[in-house]
Amino acid sequence: MDGRSNVLLVAGPSGVGKTATIHAIALHLGVTIWEWTTPTPTVWPEHLHNSNSGLQYISKLDEFEGFVERVRKYGLTSPMLKGSQASVILLVDDLPVVNGRDVYGRLQRCLTLLVQLVRIPTAIVITNYDKDDSADLSTRCWEELLVSLYSAGACKVNFNPVTVNSIKKTLTTICRKEQREVDAGSIELIAKASGGDVRHAINSLQYLCLKPHRRPILPSKERLDNVRCMDDVFSLPFGKDETLSLFHALGKFLHNKRESEHTIASVRDTFLLKEKFVRFPLKMDAPEVVLCQAHGQARTLSEFLHENVLDFLSEEAIDDAWLVASYLSDADFLLSSLNGHLSRDFGAENIIQSAAASVAARGVLFGNAHPVPSRWHAIRRPKLWEVEQSSRRNKCQMFSQRSDLYNSLTITDQIVMATEFRPSLKWLGFRASESFQADGMVEDSTCLHENKLDLSDDEIEDW
Amino acid sequence: MLWVDKYRPKTLDKVIVHQDVAQNLQKLVSEGDCPHLLFYGPSGSGKKTLIMALLRQIFGPSADKVKVENKIWKVDVSFSLNFFFFSFRMQAGTRTIDVELTTLSSTHHVELNPSDAGFQDRYVVQEIIKEMAKNRPIDTKGKKGFKVLVLNEVDKLSREAQHSLRRTMEKYSASCRLILCSNSSSKVTEAVRSRCLNVRINAPMEEEIVNVLEFIAKKEGLQIPQGFAARIAEKSNRNLRRAVLTFEACRVQQYPFTNNQAIPPMDWEQYVSEIASDIMKEQSPKRLFEVRGKLYELLTNCIPPEIILKRLLFELLKKLDSELKHEVSNWAAHYEHRMRLGQKSIFHLEAFVAKFMSIYKSFLVSTFG
Repeated sequence: MDGRSNVLLVAGPSGVGKTATIHAIALHLGVTIWEWTTPTPTVWPEHLHNSNSGLQYISKLDEFEGFVERVRKYGLTSPMLKGSQASVILLVDDLPVVNGRDVYGRLQRCLTLLVQLVRIPTAIVITNYDKDDSADLSTRCWEELLVSLYSAGACKVNFNPVTVNSIKKTLTTICRKEQREVDAGSIELIAKASGGDVRHAINSLQYLCLKPHRRPILPSKERLDNVRCMDDVFSLPFGKDETLSLFHALGKFLHNKRESEHTIASVRDTFLLKEKFVRFPLKMDAPEVVLCQAHGQARTLSEFLHENVLDFLSEEAIDDAWLVASYLSDADFLLSSLNGHLSRDFGAENIIQSAAASVAARGVLFGNAHPVPSRWHAIRRPKLWEVEQSSRRNKCQMFSQRSDLYNSLTITDQIVMATEFRPSLKWLGFRASESFQADGMVEDSTCLHENKLDLSDDEIEDW
Repeated sequence: MLWVDKYRPKTLDKVIVHQDVAQNLQKLVSEGDCPHLLFYGPSGSGKKTLIMALLRQIFGPSADKVKVENKIWKVDVSFSLNFFFFSFRMQAGTRTIDVELTTLSSTHHVELNPSDAGFQDRYVVQEIIKEMAKNRPIDTKGKKGFKVLVLNEVDKLSREAQHSLRRTMEKYSASCRLILCSNSSSKVTEAVRSRCLNVRINAPMEEEIVNVLEFIAKKEGLQIPQGFAARIAEKSNRNLRRAVLTFEACRVQQYPFTNNQAIPPMDWEQYVSEIASDIMKEQSPKRLFEVRGKLYELLTNCIPPEIILKRLLFELLKKLDSELKHEVSNWAAHYEHRMRLGQKSIFHLEAFVAKFMSIYKSFLVSTFG
């Protein structure tokens, strides 16, 4: 740790032994670890209760900032610590959860200061969550944070996922020490299914060892290979559930990859379908499974599918386009069927949400009977969002004009405004220009632009 | 002031179209009271004009002294949660929501568009209207002790809102009269309709529109050539407001009028007819995508999707072989229904366009091979 700063950044996915390494080093050097412990969070009802007694709400980030400030200025002065400062490592394992740009900025500033000024050896542990979900704002934030801290002078150590062989070795050692008989096949299976997460693998092993008399039905050898290539981890009693990003799922639905002919299995249980309803089997899990993995909201999903699906239809297939459009229309109908109900029945809403998502996804898969050969498409974000925003803005503008432009005796309907007054005023083009259009429009259009930018960030965050 | 406002008849005896209705209304309120009223009829037929004239008939000139207010109402809403584990429902608390509403009021009446509040319309009806209805104006003579609430676009109210409207109508009938105004009576619930005296206002005949235009021309001191007013009337789709607006636009464009002068069309209608010819020219997913872009353009400009669909169907039918007309209209109706039930109108509009393309393409293939 000499040369640069006193701070060591440890980054990597969960369960690869980041914290364990720090502890091991500390043990080896014979120093004490002093860990930043997160205070118990204040929940909202509690805060409401407290607010009567005059207590201020202090967020976790506030407390963390205070802590960093103290450490920077005075070092560690906890009464619990005995001995010199040199024998202490400060460990920050639990960074406050941040959401949103400005809060994130505060955390970044605070950590950068820590990196630059702290005098005692410090380790900051940062867990990288799903790397592939790059649309997720928080993931990008963490990456950015790592880079900025590194450039502020921290040393960085990256942990890669543990290889299957090392996990196997570890598991075998554990089995030997615990004197459990677990056959090599299960160990290999666990190691493969764990996705490089040792902690998870050990937990799975322990779970497996709970019932020593009933060995799990072991998948055959082919099955084992499937585990790797098909993400088919659902049938196993252990293993990590794969998570997909929304884009990944959309890609699956839109590209619509299918077998080129019927497999025997599907012929066996087939109903007699008319020619036009028959589709080749899908080269993916059932759409519902994919949806489940992607955690997609039905509304977002259907809007994305709607925006992008036409690119994936072949040139001539207007019938397919209608089929897809009709299913999307069904999905929209399902999604809005709960609207306006006073009581919120979350159960029913969930079912409708999943049904709608399923209709949208399956509709796109079924409808696109003649998919274009795979080629690269950029997936656009729905233009509908922009349209809705600007339409809402136009509406507000119209309402505001309504009162000052026509000092008539009645309130004009919005429809009449949009379809009759506005076009005619364009033709008349007189009072209109002096009263509102000239000054109002220019300002509005610029501020709309800013709004749009802001909102686009927010929406990406929402997915 | 626009001509539409300038030449709006102020009293019931001055109206030019719907004189019969005006006379009946005059008789109706001669006693100084009236039942709840529901005016329905197509856009630009004169419902509002009649309502305003009626108010003036009841309350005298003071009904003309109106002020526009844009007010944010705070409505307390109690909400409840369902718990699955315990099969009871508990009151989880109240929250206050803000509902922004523009009202136009005189001492005797309040006019508002409850549907402006969108999905919050039921709060407007439940709370705000109730609030207004409760306050009974005091009259020195002890007569006319009621207030009139004019509600526009009742047909656009959600079903829940219409239900609560029904309750309000009964409960406060002593202190207030509702005058409802809507384009179609079929979208107003039966219960509300039966509590009102329904007044149907037909779209004015073309000759009547011509009369009005000539009346305005006389007042403005304009010369109009023979047949020019008839052309505007024909273009106006029997919508008087539109005819007057167009007439004024023509006046700005070119005066003195000539008989072959172009009558300025509404820009969005032109746009829809472009879309229609796009659809007729090519039927492919790519074209569908382009059409979607144009539909977005219209929606951005707040043209209501139902009107887009209607106009689009109209334009398409003009160019269509008669054997397809039935099927196409059927699908248009299907998707209009869908649009009303659904939320994102573009999904349904696009589905209609796709269906049309599909029908038309197979028709072309079977006819011309």
